[in-house]
Amino acid sequence: MRIGMPHMGNLYIPFKALFQRLGVDFVIPPVNNQHTLSLGVKYSPEGLCIPFKLTLGNLIEAAELGADTLLVPGGSGICRLGYYVTIQEQILRDLGYNGEIISVGFSQHKLSGLLKTIKHLSNNAPWPKIISAFRFGLAKLNAMDRIERIVQKVRPVEEVKGTANQLFTKAINAIDKANDYAPLKKVQVDYINQLNQVTKDDIQPLIVGVVGEFYVLLEPFSNLDVESELGKLGVEVRRTTFISEWTKFTLFLNPLGVNEKKRIHKAALPYLKRDIGGDGWESVGEKVLHAKEYDGLIHLAPFTCMPEIVAQNIMPSTKEDIPVLTILCDEQIAKPGLSTRLEAFVDLLERKRRAHNN
Amino acid sequence: MIKVGIPRALLYYQYYPMWKTFFEEMGAEVVVSPPTTQTMVSEGSSRVVADTCLPVKVFCGHVLSLVEKCDYIFIPAVRSVKRRVYNCSKFLGLPDMTKAVIPESPPILDIDIDVNQGKRKLYHNIYKLGRHFTWNPFKVRQAAIAAWQSFLIYQRLMSCHRLTPPQAIAKMTGEIEPKAPSLTQTTIALIGHPYLLYDEHINHRLIHRLEQADNKILTPETLTKEELQSAIARLVGRAYWTYEDEIVGAGGHYLQSGADGVIGLMTFGCGPDSLMMDIVRRASKLGTTPFMSLTLEEHTSEAGVTTRLEAFLDMIHRRKRRQVKVCA
Repeated sequence: MRIGMPHMGNLYIPFKALFQRLGVDFVIPPVNNQHTLSLGVKYSPEGLCIPFKLTLGNLIEAAELGADTLLVPGGSGICRLGYYVTIQEQILRDLGYNGEIISVGFSQHKLSGLLKTIKHLSNNAPWPKIISAFRFGLAKLNAMDRIERIVQKVRPVEEVKGTANQLFTKAINAIDKANDYAPLKKVQVDYINQLNQVTKDDIQPLIVGVVGEFYVLLEPFSNLDVESELGKLGVEVRRTTFISEWTKFTLFLNPLGVNEKKRIHKAALPYLKRDIGGDGWESVGEKVLHAKEYDGLIHLAPFTCMPEIVAQNIMPSTKEDIPVLTILCDEQIAKPGLSTRLEAFVDLLERKRRAHNN
Repeated sequence: MIKVGIPRALLYYQYYPMWKTFFEEMGAEVVVSPPTTQTMVSEGSSRVVADTCLPVKVFCGHVLSLVEKCDYIFIPAVRSVKRRVYNCSKFLGLPDMTKAVIPESPPILDIDIDVNQGKRKLYHNIYKLGRHFTWNPFKVRQAAIAAWQSFLIYQRLMSCHRLTPPQAIAKMTGEIEPKAPSLTQTTIALIGHPYLLYDEHINHRLIHRLEQADNKILTPETLTKEELQSAIARLVGRAYWTYEDEIVGAGGHYLQSGADGVIGLMTFGCGPDSLMMDIVRRASKLGTTPFMSLTLEEHTSEAGVTTRLEAFLDMIHRRKRRQVKVCA
C-alpha cells in the first residue's frame, strides 16, 4: 500500500514521520508549484475554490507517483469542504485512477476517527505503536510551529532581509530528518537560538494580523507567501491559526469542553450571531478582538469562498475600526499586483501611526 | 397594525405562503417587495462587496425597497431543514449581513431554523419570533400550525397540480387563475434554485421565452420527493446541501426520463452550485439527453442568453425530427 495525500503547508512532515514509524509506504507529491495548480485548474469545475484545485493537483501528482491509497480531506460542515471527496473521487476515477480513496473527516469522530483511519492504513498495527508514532508526528508539528512563531517575529526586524526565511527552510529540513525525540529537541533549541541571534534593527515594527480561511492561511503557495512579503516590508505578522494549535484543540481539548474560540465568537456576537461555516465567524471575531493591538488586518480568502464573503461584508460595519485589506486567492493572483497592494496598505498604516503619535 | 416586510427574493419562493399565514395569524400585515427591477439590482449591488453572488445582491435590493414601508423585515437564518444536511453560509449570515450593509433597514426579525438542534429548540425559536407580536404561547402555537398547514397546501399545489411557485402563490392568494398549459411537443426541464427560475428579471424571462417557442416546461417543484431522492441516491449517495433536490435530484431525474432537454441555471460564484451543476453535467455525459448550463450574473446580456437558448432549442428540434424519421 502506498499512501498519498494533499499538501497544506509543511503538514507532510509530521505525516511522513508518522507513517515511517509504522512502516507504511508514504508518497509525497511535489510541493505545490505552478504545474500542480495547472493540473488542478484543468480538471476542476471552474467555479471552485483554490483549496479544491490545489489539493486535486496534489492527488493527481501523488497518483502519478504510484500512490494507491489517497487521503482526501472531508467531513461535514457548512462550507464546500464536505463535498470535496464526492467530486474529487469522480474526477480521479475519470482520469483512470482505480486505487482506494479514503475521506479523512475531522468534524465528526475527531481523534478516534483519525486513529482508526491510521490503524486501517497501517495494516492493523498494534495500538501502542500507532499512538507512539502519532505522538512523534505531533512533536514534529509542534516543533515546526514553535520555530515559525519566532520566524514571524524576526522577519520584520532582521538586518539582512531573508535571513529568517533561510533559517526556517533549514530548520524544516532538519526537523524532517530528525528521527527521534532527542535530535528533534536539539534541532528545535538550535534553530531557536540561531534565530534569536540574528542581528536585528532597532525598530518598532507595525503589527498586522492575518485572518481568514484555514487553507489559504496555512499554504504559502496559495497566498503567494504573503507573510514573507509583509516581513520584507517591516511588518510583524500575527496569526492565531496554527496547525499545531488546531490539532491540540480540535482533537484533544474541544471534546473535553475547552473551546479556545469562545473568546473570538463572543467578540463577533454583536455583528454576527451564528456560526456560518468555514472560518467566517472567526474572521469577524478576530477583527473585533484585536482591533486595539493590531495596526491593520489582512483578510485572506479563496475566491468565491461563501463564509468569507459574508465576513467581508460584515467587517466594515464593526465599531472597532482598523484597516482591513482583503486578499482573494485564486489561480489568477500575481505577485506584482499583491506587492503593490501590500505596499500601499503598509504605507497607509505607517501614516496612520505617525498621525496617531503626533 | 404592525407591518412585516418580506423581500421577494431567495427563500420567498419556497416558503412565502407559510410566512404570510404565520404573520397574519399573529395580527400583522405582510408587505412584499415588488418584482425585481434593474434599479433594485444596481442598488443592492452597490451595498455589498463585488464577489457576493447575484441572488444576495438582488435580496439587498429588495430589502432597500422595503425600507420605510414596514416596521420589521423578516429574514430567517435557515441553517438546516433536514438532519445533517446543511445550507449555504450566505443564508446563515443573511440577517447579520443585511444589518451590516443596510444600516437604515427597519429592525430585522430573524429566526434560527436548525433541525439538528432538536425540536425543542426549534419550537423555542418560533416562540421567540412570535414574542414580537404576543406574549401568549398558545397564539404562537396556533399561528405556527396554521402556517405549517398552508405550507403543505402550497407544496401539494406544486407537486400534484403541477403549478410553479408563482402560480401556486397566485392561486393561494386568489390573485389570478393559472392558465392551463398548452399542448406542445417538446419538453424542456429547467433545473436551478427557485429564486433564479422564477425571478423573471434575473433570468431574462426564460420561462416565458421557452413557452413562447411552444415548449412545455418542467421544473424541480413538479417532481415528488421520492423521485428526487432516488435520483440523488443514484448520483451522489446522500444529500449534503439543503437545496440539493432542486439541482442534483431534478437534474438526475430529467436527464433520465421525461424531458427532451435540460437547462441548468446557476449564478456566477455560487458555492454549492459550482459542485452540484458539475455533478449534473457529468451525469449528462453518460446519457443522451442534451444539457446546457446557463450562468447568470448582473452583467449577463439578454442577447447572449437568447442566442444560446435558440441554438439549444434548434438542436433539440433537429434531433426530434431525425428520431421521427428513423422510426418511420
